[in-house]
This record gives sequence, structure tokens and C-alpha cells, in this order.
Amino acid sequence: MSITYIEAIHQAQKELLTEVPEVFIYGQDVGSFGGAFKATQGLSDEFPDRVVDSPISEDAMAGMVIGAAVEGARPILEMQFADFSSVAFNQIVNQAATHYYRTGVQVPLTVRLPSGGTPGSGPFHSQNMESLYAHYPGLVVVTPATVADAYGMLKEAVMMDNPVIYCEHKFLYRWLRTDELKYNALPIGQARIVRPGKHATVVTYSAMVHEAVKAAEMLSSDGWEIEVVDLRSVKPIDLDTIMASVARTGRLLALGESYPWGGVTAEVVSQVVAEGFHLLDAPPMRLNSKDTPVPYHPDLWAAHRPTPESIIVSLKHLLRL
Amino acid sequence: MPQVAITMPQLGESIAEATIVKFLVQPGDTVEVDQEVIEVETNKATMGVTTLCGGVITQFQVEAGTSYAVGTQLGLIEATEEEIEATGVTPLGAAPEAEEEVPELIEKTLSHGDNPAIAQQSQMDLTDSIAIEPSVHGLPVPVGTKGASYLSPRMRARMDELGLRAADISAIQGSGAGGRVTIEDLEEFLVSIEDWPKSKASPMRLAVADAMRRSWTRPLATVGMPVVLDKVLAHRKEQNPKPGLTLYILRAFALALKEDPTSAGYLIGENIVHPKAFDIGVAVQVPDGVVVPVIRNADSKTVPQLSAEYAELVDKARERKLGKETFEKGIATVTNFGTFGLVSGTPIPLPNETLILGLGAGVKKPVWSDEANAFVPVTTCELVLTFDHRVVDGGGAGMLLQKVRDYLQQPWML
Amino acid sequence: MVEASATGNSLENIQHGFKSMITSRMLENKLSALYKAGKIVGGVYLGKGQEAISAALGTVLQKGQDVYAPLIRDQAGRTAFGEELLDVTRTYLGKVTGPMKGRDGNIHRGRPTEGMPAMISHLGASLSYIAGMLFARRMRGDLGDSIGAATFGDGATSTGAFHEGLNLAAVEKLPMIILVVNNCFAYSTPNDRQFACANLVSRAEGYGIAGHHVDGTDFLKCMETMEAAAQAARNGGGPQLVVADVLRLCGHGEHDDAKYIPQEMWDQSRDCIDVAEAQMLANNFLTQEQIDSIKSDAKARVQEAVAIAQREPTPDPRQDDWKALGS
Repeated sequence: MSITYIEAIHQAQKELLTEVPEVFIYGQDVGSFGGAFKATQGLSDEFPDRVVDSPISEDAMAGMVIGAAVEGARPILEMQFADFSSVAFNQIVNQAATHYYRTGVQVPLTVRLPSGGTPGSGPFHSQNMESLYAHYPGLVVVTPATVADAYGMLKEAVMMDNPVIYCEHKFLYRWLRTDELKYNALPIGQARIVRPGKHATVVTYSAMVHEAVKAAEMLSSDGWEIEVVDLRSVKPIDLDTIMASVARTGRLLALGESYPWGGVTAEVVSQVVAEGFHLLDAPPMRLNSKDTPVPYHPDLWAAHRPTPESIIVSLKHLLRL
Repeated sequence: MPQVAITMPQLGESIAEATIVKFLVQPGDTVEVDQEVIEVETNKATMGVTTLCGGVITQFQVEAGTSYAVGTQLGLIEATEEEIEATGVTPLGAAPEAEEEVPELIEKTLSHGDNPAIAQQSQMDLTDSIAIEPSVHGLPVPVGTKGASYLSPRMRARMDELGLRAADISAIQGSGAGGRVTIEDLEEFLVSIEDWPKSKASPMRLAVADAMRRSWTRPLATVGMPVVLDKVLAHRKEQNPKPGLTLYILRAFALALKEDPTSAGYLIGENIVHPKAFDIGVAVQVPDGVVVPVIRNADSKTVPQLSAEYAELVDKARERKLGKETFEKGIATVTNFGTFGLVSGTPIPLPNETLILGLGAGVKKPVWSDEANAFVPVTTCELVLTFDHRVVDGGGAGMLLQKVRDYLQQPWML
Repeated sequence: MVEASATGNSLENIQHGFKSMITSRMLENKLSALYKAGKIVGGVYLGKGQEAISAALGTVLQKGQDVYAPLIRDQAGRTAFGEELLDVTRTYLGKVTGPMKGRDGNIHRGRPTEGMPAMISHLGASLSYIAGMLFARRMRGDLGDSIGAATFGDGATSTGAFHEGLNLAAVEKLPMIILVVNNCFAYSTPNDRQFACANLVSRAEGYGIAGHHVDGTDFLKCMETMEAAAQAARNGGGPQLVVADVLRLCGHGEHDDAKYIPQEMWDQSRDCIDVAEAQMLANNFLTQEQIDSIKSDAKARVQEAVAIAQREPTPDPRQDDWKALGS
């Protein structure tokens, strides 16, 4: 018996619907069809009034769940793909994110964004939006990398009184599995050291955690000990854990699957440089996707995003500096 | 009675100023609250400026046809206390409310969760290996990074903490990238010298160390030339009191430099900075160090004239009784290491000077004399000149030494 | 002569609506004067000419039960719904005592937990928000008789958010009034550059919802139409699109002198306040003395709300917690 990342999301939602009467799920095809990725499979049978199909209207979907959250509900909004949340951008960043600061009334809303690339998905079904949402004050942005975090962080997100952007990685949906679903109860806002090391730190999140671990393992045969930090939530960002790691290793590679201009990796580098310049043995590096839309063909896609091989190239360069 | 201002309003988001079209009332007129009293025009619209309270217009402070910035006081209304109370406006000159005590901003510090845990391993297959370029490039390793020459921000921070200089850790070979010294190398080195006997360096020692270390950042070269001292020694015997030999050398050096002042210049960027005066220092050995008091305008006074000043300066220097200003702004230094029996040396100029002239111990030598048709004894010594090779070349240094040597053969000119 | 009941309203409701119109006009005249005296930072946006339809909506809604998302020109509706005058003056004057604490200004004020969300500037966004509030109540099982309403202008009907929200509300058959006040100009853009249909109410059919069309300057007709729409919504009739025709009797904001409105439009326009006053007298809903007293009372209350707010403190940057997330 084992459980996958997507099954963990399903499990968390099922438990939330069972335990918390304020919770409902809204999104395209989430009802009897069970969602494009089957994250809500069977849930509408059990909770017909609380797992509800929406029209294809991302703006109105987001506005609707914001209003519902203000009325005391704890909605989970499933965007069919993270990419489509751009249509709901106004409601999320201008309505939900400003709501508490303007009116003092919180919006306990969770937006699930099926994020990131899979082979063949192309420019509009592959994007990572965490950097955009993290830019706006008033939003919590989480990026679970493990099955346990997919489960635990979703439950925590829904019970938070702030709007949470929950970036789930499609590439991990079925590849990633664990034997037993146990949540380690590390709260949102704390990073985790996935792999200890002493020569360089890779700060990353979501699917890239696994690519970084692979790269670190491959480098270990050459005697390099690479520390991998999983941010878990990109906002708030756990600068303490990042700093402690960089203090141990003196070298930083900020790794992310999203586009290279600005974003989470740039934020990590700028915060480390601003507060920990004296900890560095080498200029900090960033590795992101290429600065193009996400390509469709699997060969182009594999070269567009960071891979263990490109991470190793970057790390070897960093270790020489 | 209280006075209330009529103010130029903000008439649109991007509007910074507006032009007065006309006045709708005159000073002395009685106005109501919210009455339009001045017509103004922006590039967007024409508007009336209104009153904040009723009262009597006492004056307008602006002119029609002229443009004024938003917020400009345009005029004054005299209002009754009752009117002020009813409208809630603040009259001019009203005392601002007492500042409330502001609580200090409390910074919430995130606690650092130390929860290392190995995460789930994914079972993804590796994608096929393809040619990969890193999408970012760091700075290349600086040239000549072996040992303690290139120090990372972290090394610098740690060394600052320990009060160390790069020269202090020259013993460390460096095991890092490009042979750089790493923190680990440094800590190992410090441990390795832990049980060696140590003594505290004196402030004088540290000051000399600092000056020499700074000077040593430049490409320094040394050249030498023998000189016959007999004429100087003979001249010296005739004087009362007898001037020191070093003073003759100093004076000859000053006159030689006056003929070629650029050789004592400093190179700063693309300029040679020339000396302003021929102030020459003299190195004086003191316990645990060296000090260099300066003789001012050594080109303009003769050896007999300088003799007393020089003797006093040296004595006072040995007794450490000279003020800081005595050691400043020399352009070159003379050092007589001959007094220690040394015949030659490679002295290092002060960091703010380009030249140092050294004087070895005098040696009696037989020299063939055509006049006497025999070997005759002469006293010679070695003159050495260390120079910043960025400013002076070997030939220039040689010519400068020749000039010094020539002056020393005509001691009456000194 | 019409009976009050002929409009579907009680006499008390009609008087309340009228009183709200008068208060709103007095208040907005004062805000305009304060703006032109340089007292207001930011814009002032008025609802002159739109009071009748706005007040009618605010009147048929029950505060404490219904939810109402007013827009830029809904002072009359806000007042009719029960918004305190001090909320208005404190917000416009940027006072820390106001509901927005100086963090947002002018028309962006609201009290979301008291049934009145605070609008954002992005037009059309409030429609789905109100739909969500009603959806949450229905899911919880305590929708009861409550309805929701959101106001838009002719310009807002062109946004994707308006379409998406209206369609969503129609699909969910939510008890809502969607009021579109066509005041002929979206800022300066006239109707013929905004939409191509003969009348915006024809859109109701496309969404599969009920549509109502009314002359927004006729107060009694507004009351009648709005009460009918509210009843239909409360009785399971789903979303009700109400389109009211008016002319905006001021600029987009007080910085705008509306020179783009042609003179003949001004000439043909009528002020809904004048119409309402005549209607109140003609139908004996109020006497002239009562109207005069309503006016002087409104003026005094406005003056008092301004005077109180004037004396109150503005926000202190050192005391703001600068937190966009709640605990």
C-alpha cells in the first residue's frame, strides 16, 4: 500500500470536507468528473453540495470564493492549470490579497494551482506562478515537494485565515509516492534541510528539490557534500534556515523551475547577499528555466528546465569559484 | 479672530498647479462655508476654489493670471470661534495636538526551525543526458588566487574578526578552489600554532608592520653604487660641532632630487604627483622599531646650518619625544644601516614615499693612485636606492645615485 | 395620485428612500466643496443624478440580512442601506478612525462583515464576490430570505469580470439584483463606443435571467421596479438584471468638468431629486414643511459628520503595523 502526491491531495481534501463543514471545493470539472487530475475523484458523491463544478470563468470563480470566504466559508478553488490563474489574477491579487489590509476582514481561501511542466504540456499547461503571487503583499504561497507536505500543507493552508496559493507540482502527482502518509507537522513558513552537506547549499522548492537531491547524490561520488534546502513555502520565506545553511557551506545555488527574470531564486540570492555577504566564499548563483515560454516537445522541455545534469554543471562551476 | 487659509486644491491626480482665472469675491466680503471664491484653471478643467468656513475675506495672497502649486495658500478668511467649532477646521497658527507617545516598533524574529530530515526520494527516471550549459555564469576565479592572495567575503569577515591580515597567513598553502585559502585551512593553521610560545607585539612593532605591509604592495627594486667618502670625512673634521655622516648623505640626496624631482613623485591613477618641498626623513632606530623624523626644506640649508637641528631631532627621536607632525609629509628617506656594521641592504621605502636611500658601513680599501704611483687607502661605502619601479627605472635610479655620489665629492657645496 | 402600495412599497420605505437621496446630495455637495478647498487627498466621485435608482436599491435591501456591493456613484444607496455618515467623512478625509483607517480612501470603503463589501477599482469584480457570499449562505443552509445586490455602470458591463460573474450567478440561480445604471458616459466614453446593443437590458435574455428596465430619474418608478426585482429574487427567481437610464449630472470625478457632455443632453436631462420632490408632494407622501425639515436636518447632520471627522487624527505611519496578513 503506497500513496502518491495526488492521492495525498485527494486525501487531505476528503478529510477537510469531512471534518470542516465550512470547506467546499469549487472549480472546473471537479464534480462528478473528479477533476482534470482526479484530485476530487468521488468527492462530489459524498458531498454533492460542497464539491461544485464552475463555469470556465477564472475571474468569477476567484471572486465567488472570495465572497464565500468573507461569509465564513473555507473554500478550496481548484484552477485546472496554474497557467489559467492569470485570468483570475485581478481577483486574487487585488481583491483577496488586499482584503485584510484594507478592511480588517480576513479571506480564508486556498487556491490550488496545478503547476510546473510535464513532457508535452507546452506553453500554457506548464507554468509556475509562485513568483508572481509571492510578489504581492497579503498572500501566503506554498510549494510542497513531498507527499507528506502535499497532504499536510494543504490541510494547514485551508485552516489558515489568510489567502493561500497552494502550488502543487503536476510532475510529482504520480511519480512521487510514499509508503505511509505521515505528516511531520513542520509548519508553513519553515524550510527543511533535505540533505545535509558542507561544500555548497542548494536552496530550492517543489519538484526541483528532487532534481537537486539527485545532482547532490551524483556529486557525492566525487567527494562533494551538497546541502539541499527545501523552502516548502516561498512566502513567508525561511531566511533563518537558508542563512544557517549558507553559513555552513559558504556557497549558494538558488534553484527554481520558473522563469529566470526575478522571482523566488532572485529573492533568495538578494536576501542572502544583503544579510549574509560575509558568509559567502563565492558569488551566489541562480539556476532557473530558460528565458522562453515552456516548450512543447519533450526534448526541448527537458533542456528548458533545470535537470540533475545542468544542476551539476552549475554546482561544479560554483565549487570552483 | 482666527484666520483660516484658502488653499489651492489638488484638481486631478496628475495636476501639480493651477492658474488663477479670477476672484469671485473681494477682500472685505463676507462669505459662506463652501462658497466658491476663486476661479482656477488647469489643463483639464476650470473649477471654483471653495471656503472651508464662513467669515470675512481679509486678503488674497495671489494674482490672477498666475499659476500656483497645489497646496499654495491663496488667501485668508477671518472666522468666528463659533464658526471654527461648527466646521471643525483648523485655523492658522493653532497649536498642533501634543505628540502621542509612539510605541517602539517590535520586530518579530522568526525562530529557526532546525529540523533536518531526509525527504521522500522520488522515483523519477533521469532524463537522457543531453548537452547542457549553465543558464548563469559566476565570476571567473581571479588570476593568482593561490594561497592568501584572494580572500572570499567569508574569509575576510573571519579574518577581520580575528584581526588578521593576508600577510599573516602567507604560511597557508590553500586547499580551496584555485588554491585559495579556505576557512577550514585558516582554522587548521590557527590550531597548529596554538601551543607555540607567543608574545604581544608592541604598538611600535605593529605600526612598522603596517607601514611595511602597505609599502610592499608596490613593485620595489634596489640598486647600489660604491662611493668614496674621504672628502666628506675631511670636510666633517673641520666643522665644529662635527655633523653626522648621514646628514651629508641626506643633503646630497636633497640636492640631487631637486635636480630631478619627478623621481620622488607618486603614481596615483594616471598622474605622477610631484613633491611640493624637499623634506627628507631620516630613519632612527628606537627600541622595537624605527621612526623617521623629517628635515624640512633640506635643499635650502647647508650641512653646517642643519647640523644642530639634525642632532636635536635624532636625539629627541630616540627619546620618543617628537610630535606626530615631525613624521609627516616626507618625500624620501635616508637610512644609515652602516651603523650596524652592514655594508649593504635593500631597505623598503615608507608607503607614502617612492624612494629610500641606504648607506652601508665605511670600508678602508687600497686604491691605485696615479699621482702617488702607489696603492693608497680610501674609505668607501655602498649607497643603495630602493624605488617604486612604477615611477623610476633602473637607469633613472642609477643617475640619481651618481648625482648623490658627485655631490659627496664636493662637500663644500653641501 | 398613487398609493404607496401601488409601487409595492410602504410609505415608510418611500420616505426613507427620498430622505436618503436628499442626504446623499447634501453630503456630496459638501464633499465637492471640501475637495475644492484642498481638504481631500485623492479623488471625489459623486452620484449626482443617480440618487433615485441608487436609493431605491438601498431601500429595498435589509441591512443585517442582505448584502450590497455599491459602486462609485452609490452614496444614496449606501445611505439608504444604513451606512453612517461618519464612515463617509472619515474615509474621504483619510482619518484613522474610519472603517479603512486611511489605508484606502473615498468610495473604496465598506464593512464586509456588515453586508457591505469594500469595492476595488477593477470594474465588474464585485459581482462574483456577492455571488460567493450568497453561495456560502446557501451551502450553510442559512440563506433564508436574504438577497444580494451589486451595482455597475454602463462601462463596467464591458468587462470580462461582469460577464463571467453574471453568467456564474445565473448558473447558480443566486438571489441577486444586478443593477446597471447607464449614465451615458464611462468617464468620457459615450454609449456608442461602449456597447452595440440597443438596450443593455436585452442582455438578460442571453444570460437566461430576468431583466427590468426603468427611467432612473423617476423615483417612484425606481422604487416600484426595485421592489419587484427584490421580491422576484427573494422568491427564487434567480438573478435580476435592472437597467436604469440616467444622465450623470457631474464629471467622472470632481477634477473633471465633463465638457464632453453635449449641451443638448444637459438641456434634455432632469434632476431625479426635483422629480422625487414633486412626486412626494403630488402624492401627499410628504408635505413641503416635512421636505424642508428633511433638508435642513440632512444639512446639519452632514455638517456635524464633517466637523467631527475634521478634528480626528490621520493615520500615523509609525503606528500602522504594516501587515498584509492577519494572524
